[in-house]
Amino acid sequence: MPITETLKRNYNKLTWTWKPDSDKEAGDAIVKNMLLHWFPNKISKRSLSWNYSFYLGTISFVLFLILTLTGVVLMFLYVPSVERAYSSVKDIEYVISFGWLLRGMHRIAAHLMVAVVFLHMIRVFLTGAYKNGSAVGANRPLNWIIGLVLFVATLLLSFTGYLLPWDQLAYWAITVGTNIASAAPVVGEWIRFLLLGGNTIDQGALIRFYVLHVFFLPVLVLLLFSWHMWRVRKDGGLAIVDHEVLEQKAEKVAPVKSKTYSLLGITNGTTVHVQNTMVDEEKNTVPSSPHLMRRVWLVTAATFVVVVLLTLVFRAPLETAANPSVTPNPAKAPWYFLWLQEIVTITTVQIGSFTINGALIGGVLLPGLLLVLAAWWPYRDKSSINAVGVWFADERRRQNMVFLGIVLLVLLFTVIGTFLRGPYWNFYWPWESWPEMPIKF
Amino acid sequence: MMKLFRKSKQDQQALSDTSKSETRRTFLHKLGLGGMLAGLAGFGFQSFRSLIPNVLYEPPMKFKIGHPSTLADGMTFLEDKRLYIFKEGKSFYAISGSCTHLGCTVKYTKLNQPKHVEIDGQKKDIPFEFQCPCHGSKFYSDGTNYAGPAPKPLQWYKLEVAPDDGQLVVNMKDEVEQNFRLTV
Amino acid sequence: MDHKTIKDKLTFVKKDKLIISIIGIAVFLLMGFISYSYMIPEWKSYQSEFKELVEEKFGPERAATVPTGLQQVYVKELNKADRCITCHQGVEWKGLENAPEPFRTHPKEILEKHPVNKFACTTCHGGQGFATDMHDAHGLIKDWEEPVLGRDLGEFYVMSDKKALMQMNCNSCHRYDKSTKGAGYINRAKELVNEKGCRACHVINGRGGTVGPDLTYEGMKSPEQFNYERIKGFHSEFSWQIAHFKNPKESVPETVMPNFNFSSADAQALAMLVMSWKKEHIPIEYIPGHNFRDIPTEEEKEKEERMLKGPGAFFVKKNCFVCHSVSTLGIDAAAQIGPDLAMAVEDVQSRFGRTLDDFLEKPTGTMEVVLSTMITLTPEERKETIEKLRHAYDIYQQQKKDAQLAKGK
Repeated sequence: MPITETLKRNYNKLTWTWKPDSDKEAGDAIVKNMLLHWFPNKISKRSLSWNYSFYLGTISFVLFLILTLTGVVLMFLYVPSVERAYSSVKDIEYVISFGWLLRGMHRIAAHLMVAVVFLHMIRVFLTGAYKNGSAVGANRPLNWIIGLVLFVATLLLSFTGYLLPWDQLAYWAITVGTNIASAAPVVGEWIRFLLLGGNTIDQGALIRFYVLHVFFLPVLVLLLFSWHMWRVRKDGGLAIVDHEVLEQKAEKVAPVKSKTYSLLGITNGTTVHVQNTMVDEEKNTVPSSPHLMRRVWLVTAATFVVVVLLTLVFRAPLETAANPSVTPNPAKAPWYFLWLQEIVTITTVQIGSFTINGALIGGVLLPGLLLVLAAWWPYRDKSSINAVGVWFADERRRQNMVFLGIVLLVLLFTVIGTFLRGPYWNFYWPWESWPEMPIKF
Repeated sequence: MMKLFRKSKQDQQALSDTSKSETRRTFLHKLGLGGMLAGLAGFGFQSFRSLIPNVLYEPPMKFKIGHPSTLADGMTFLEDKRLYIFKEGKSFYAISGSCTHLGCTVKYTKLNQPKHVEIDGQKKDIPFEFQCPCHGSKFYSDGTNYAGPAPKPLQWYKLEVAPDDGQLVVNMKDEVEQNFRLTV
Repeated sequence: MDHKTIKDKLTFVKKDKLIISIIGIAVFLLMGFISYSYMIPEWKSYQSEFKELVEEKFGPERAATVPTGLQQVYVKELNKADRCITCHQGVEWKGLENAPEPFRTHPKEILEKHPVNKFACTTCHGGQGFATDMHDAHGLIKDWEEPVLGRDLGEFYVMSDKKALMQMNCNSCHRYDKSTKGAGYINRAKELVNEKGCRACHVINGRGGTVGPDLTYEGMKSPEQFNYERIKGFHSEFSWQIAHFKNPKESVPETVMPNFNFSSADAQALAMLVMSWKKEHIPIEYIPGHNFRDIPTEEEKEKEERMLKGPGAFFVKKNCFVCHSVSTLGIDAAAQIGPDLAMAVEDVQSRFGRTLDDFLEKPTGTMEVVLSTMITLTPEERKETIEKLRHAYDIYQQQKKDAQLAKGK
């Protein structure tokens, strides 16, 4: 077979545009096509709409993809040793062709990913998309929890990457960050010791953060992501579909057709049921290929362009080489932890002669509590199925208010910590200039 | 009839307009797709280009090895440079210790009984030889290969005297003939 | 499928396709822009200018030898990788002494003692050797604490010798020199340290009083360690030091350090000196005078002199002294393996039953091997040996006689 023919066939397999000659071929194709296990073969037009999902989940995955691609190249160029790390990053910036681009894109994509995953979580909450719809075997609360773990993993990925340049910014951000972790009762000190491979941030910490950053956490994210996507399909697609079903039931058109797909050779015995909830397929759905494919491609390319543009505008900083004897003023944690740093400055409590470090309350208990609360929330949310897949459902108004309140507080503290805190953690309005920090010459 | 005719003409006009905008759109689409593919290919190339180093962290190929008078008589092996320096009275020469087969470091082996061989029609006394630990290549004392897989003689490097402080300078970028001697 | 649905679908399909096309063009333009800016870095224009300059001055042949692309001086010992020579290509060229910067030849005298491939650039000049554009390389930026200590900075601090600041870096290696050629400011400051008796109150290099702080590593302090409230003008560690030397009480009211009324130049010199006192890891071979550290004692010196230049020097030259002493000629064997040659005349007779002349002509035993392979004597040298050994024996006998006489008395 000529090579072009082979290539074409494989491309077709990937994009699912060829017409099967026999039933067997069609069946094989379903089993063998990886993308078909992510994407349904038909998708409702409302699922495709921009203003329901904003494609935040897709964007976070694209960012993860960009991070992986640039990260793999950077792994060839970066040296995770205390002596060489800083100079290897300097080399990436100055003498390696397009090194600045790779590093800049990696950094921008990392920051964006934290933000986009957070926004994705907000979207899911505000649309009540963690609630089960009418699909059989749906378990959206579980997928919400997987999402929470993915969010934490994203934060950790970004945090571990923060140390690697081994400059002042990195060193002191990790000092502040790991000391917050050490405030956890009983195990805190031990966790810090284990994480740093010692008591100080040195070679041990660098190599641990590196291995976590380039191997364990990405693999974790990849596995959880696959599970997350698989669950989305098992749970009946985007939550908006459940809403559509209700609407169509109200219209009282033809009864719901139910389809059962079996995964042919993959599973034995019990088959996986995918409830097809479409009332009127003809009217409300389009084939995933090419329409969803095209949309995903669009989002991918757009995300790529935005990342490159931001990279051109905001060059990645690299401060003076890490110096354990000089703390920069102010020393800040990475921006997504600054709300915690802001809170820990006011949560040191004195009860009699007993002082509780603010890091325990603000840095460990509070975020821990928030996470537990978030994980538990879907199980206490007793709103009806009418609130699934709708933005700001009336039924869930109070919940949304509480949630938005917390989100706004976190954002407020993050903004204060990032933009309004200057030397000695003093408050400065944006129009106030910080006192000039002295330099050597 | 006239009316009808006009109408159909309008229709035709509209039709050709659509097809025009259609072609324009297809063209734009092709341009966009081509641009994207070219751009992504460019990005792929840039990522690859970053792996070709522009500067190297390697020791210099030309270096000083000390004053000629402080060098020991006979052979001196510079381990880090894998280089044999020979001092015979007032003359000096340098032979690479890197096997010409696959680059292992050859070992200097003193012979109990000097060999008498003919190399390129010249009779020579061979007091020692070099042996490669990797694949058993053997070289005479002047670096000529005579056994094993080594395809050519060991390299000889140029020696100079530094004009500033009189130290011996080895230039590993400059290969020389086997009859090279630096006389100080 | 009714007509409306198709139309519906078409609108969003068309829109998607349009957006993709626009994004596609954007991707292409972005990559084009990045590739274009990659083709025209600042250093490339300097390199082509330099090539033109060389061609104009020395002809096209030499211009062809000018290297292109990023250049780097890598000195492993000092952990330096300086890219300065990417633009400053004329540093080691002869004949560009009057060329405009960045192409000028480096002053020759100092470069001979401090070759580029051993010292790199930033070791003396400061600046950011990593960087490949002028702004970052000259280092007058945030996040780089060691800017180029050159004319610009000298002008900023109103130094009368604008390039003097660089002398601070000289003092990294030349710290323990009393005086360093070319480092006028540092030398003057070192004089002042002795003249004004700084050590009365301060420990410097491990010696001194404890009234004031230890100054041994004053240069290691970070700028944040100083209080700038009373410092007029620019807040830098250097200006603090100058102000403090000029009038200690003005910057630190509670200090007991007297006002020495230093002139501006002296205050600058002292500020440079104390800021040059850093804890640095300098390989021993970079510290001047290191090769004189193994100083021989007077006794050893006297012995070496006697061995090399005394009456027995011949035996040292011919390496006899490795095994044999010649006690009466002042030669001590390095490893006392063989007998003392002072008595060789009678010794050879008693051991081998042959005269010295005969034995040296046809040696037997160990000496046969030694004299045939390691030490070869020409007939003249053999004659000289015998002469010298006879002379040694004469002295030996004289000494013996004198000793007996002394005993008899």
